[in-house]
Amino acid sequence: MAGSMHLSRLRTWFLASPPIEFAITNLKELLVGALRQGPIPQHVAFVMDGNRRFARSHGIETVEGHNLGFEALARILEVCYKSGVKVVTIYAFSIENFKRSKFEVDALMDMAKVKLSQMAQHGDLLDRYGAKVRVLGRLDLLKPDVLAAVNKAVDLTSRNGDRVLNICFPYTSRDEITGAIRDTVEDYSTPLRPARTPFSESHIVHNIRAQTLGSSNPQDTHSDSEYSSAESSAHEDDPVLRNDHASRVYESGSSFSSSTTLHLGGQDGHHKGAAAVNTSDGDSPVYMSPETISRQTLTDHMLTKGTPPLDMLVRTSGVERLSDFMLWQCHENTEIVFLDVLWPEFDLWHFLPVLIGWQRRISKSRQNPNAEGNFAGDSPETSEEDMDGMALRQSKVKAI
Amino acid sequence: MVSSTDREILRAEIRSRGDKLNATDRESLLKPYLPDPADLAPANASANSPRRSRAGTTSSQRRQKPRKKPIRTFLKSQLHRFTYAITHIFFGIVVRLLQAYHAVVDRVFAIVYHHHRTPELIRKDVRGLKRLPEHLSVILTLHKEDDALAVLMDEVAELAAWSASAGIPQLSVYEKSGVLKSCIPALHQIISTKLASYFGTPSQQPSLQLFAPHHPVYGTAPNPKSDNPSLTLLLLSSTDGRETIVDLTKTLAEMSQNGKLSPEDITPELVDAEISEITTRPLQAGGRAASPMKPEPDLLLVFGPFLKLDGYPPWQIRLTEMYCTGDRNHGMIGYGEAVEYQGFMRGLWHYAGAQMRFGR
Repeated sequence: MAGSMHLSRLRTWFLASPPIEFAITNLKELLVGALRQGPIPQHVAFVMDGNRRFARSHGIETVEGHNLGFEALARILEVCYKSGVKVVTIYAFSIENFKRSKFEVDALMDMAKVKLSQMAQHGDLLDRYGAKVRVLGRLDLLKPDVLAAVNKAVDLTSRNGDRVLNICFPYTSRDEITGAIRDTVEDYSTPLRPARTPFSESHIVHNIRAQTLGSSNPQDTHSDSEYSSAESSAHEDDPVLRNDHASRVYESGSSFSSSTTLHLGGQDGHHKGAAAVNTSDGDSPVYMSPETISRQTLTDHMLTKGTPPLDMLVRTSGVERLSDFMLWQCHENTEIVFLDVLWPEFDLWHFLPVLIGWQRRISKSRQNPNAEGNFAGDSPETSEEDMDGMALRQSKVKAI
Repeated sequence: MVSSTDREILRAEIRSRGDKLNATDRESLLKPYLPDPADLAPANASANSPRRSRAGTTSSQRRQKPRKKPIRTFLKSQLHRFTYAITHIFFGIVVRLLQAYHAVVDRVFAIVYHHHRTPELIRKDVRGLKRLPEHLSVILTLHKEDDALAVLMDEVAELAAWSASAGIPQLSVYEKSGVLKSCIPALHQIISTKLASYFGTPSQQPSLQLFAPHHPVYGTAPNPKSDNPSLTLLLLSSTDGRETIVDLTKTLAEMSQNGKLSPEDITPELVDAEISEITTRPLQAGGRAASPMKPEPDLLLVFGPFLKLDGYPPWQIRLTEMYCTGDRNHGMIGYGEAVEYQGFMRGLWHYAGAQMRFGR
């Protein structure tokens, strides 16, 4: 035991000696630079598991373990952002974790608060180098002081560059999916204001009737000007929509029961325009048709909206479960990796083989997109995005 | 890539709960690790022009840089490209060596652990395990050959036979396209034949029930008197994943529009109850009572080169353990995709936290 202690101390001393440290730093820089030459996942998620077990096995306080975990996070974020990953999502705290000992929960909250408020002190630096920080989860479960720190950090970094750090703070994926469903339902059950369509249908019907009747009234010129403005505004849309619009107007002139045809016309178009417009304004509320809800609608209501699709999910400590993390995001084309290393020990050396393996597979599947078991073959969007990213990166390299 | 002395300072700072250093101290500590601002300026010049002018105040420096940098940048990028090639060649060699090693090990396992179509042998293989999954789920892929469907159905039949022998009462099979759902009677026939070849006469065969979401149960209900194992087989496809959640949302939206439900009523419990129902409670056919399935699988076996869920229903896999049979090959394509008994066993042993050894 004593021998191994001495050995490990000798090892740390050796690794910490300036020349060795310098060499290792340069080697890491070189490897990260090399990684940039190939395809790089755009969105990586980490489950930072193993802090407590690390603390227990090393005989230190649980809180210390979490602190070391934070160092590991900083280390891995550096690797990710330097190698070109756009979005990193981390699972910092599950809603279930509130069941842990009060001491530990408080310590974790404290740590989050300290880190976030420290970040806020460096506004200038963050502006220049920082990533956008976003906190995903049930913020209403947080204590007010932590919430204030969270809001401040999020506000402060909201204008930063294209790199994003998503912190899932009190988060579970089922909660997220439920939230997305709830928000969607809420969106769809708020009545559309009749003002959504620029003209009152009944008014137009009235005008057309008046025209066909041949009675010239002073409203005529007025309606003409309205009509031309409608035409000009419709020019900005695609011609199909315009025709649709025009035919709608005429149809409503010929037959009064326009609600069904309008409804169908809306469905053919995209979901925003799908308004079941009632001819009798204001009698019953008007809603968007629920049939227009799609996977994309739900994806847009997830907390991760606006981020590229998740390419890789890494969980440390050898536990091979998702534990309610990113269920919606990772069940399609994400590569899930379980590593048998505790999070505080996690470093470039563990992450590198995973990344290289990913690069290998991606470049293989690009060369041979019909190969079985290929990765990005069936989702052209992601590969296109990757290509875009690559082009962007290459141009950046040139620019530098 | 932080030097050890700085790390010590940082740790001391953390220990004192963040009040040892003030903002400027921290910034000076951080300074050596930040990239040169001039490096960043061209990258986001368009986004932030005033910053660029700030960086450009030292004009003499700036004039020197364009002259100096191209060569250095070129050399650096060449070095990186070279390193990239080297690491990938090296990685490829290592992967191939590992692959060869595992291929040999797998063959040995396949010989040592062979089921010989004997349920007793399979039962013996799992006897020592601490736990068995109650609900096992597998992800299979439909290949592109002509006889792909026949191969797939045979794989399902084999898996059903192994599960029944091992004493796993519930098996769900995920196949992305959902082709299996369209041929449930034929599949039932094939599985029955396979079970007959394992278990012998019909009286000794386990009772088999086959169903898919929104499909009626196919097969005989388990006889409560006989002590034969029973097997419930659930067929899943990608439409049972996101599509189902979307459908649920549509229904809820409609209810909400008609004032039958307020959005606040939508809780994880409600969603869970609704989503679980379609995979647990099969439609009753002819008054037969079907045993309910456990909604969340305990173990998910992926027969593929690397772990990718490929559209597997997301809601149910919250706490499911996952095991990929081709995982040790670092995701090399074309290996580890075959559905083999030793892969199945390895998954079960892994789930129980045990290590497979040579020799039973």
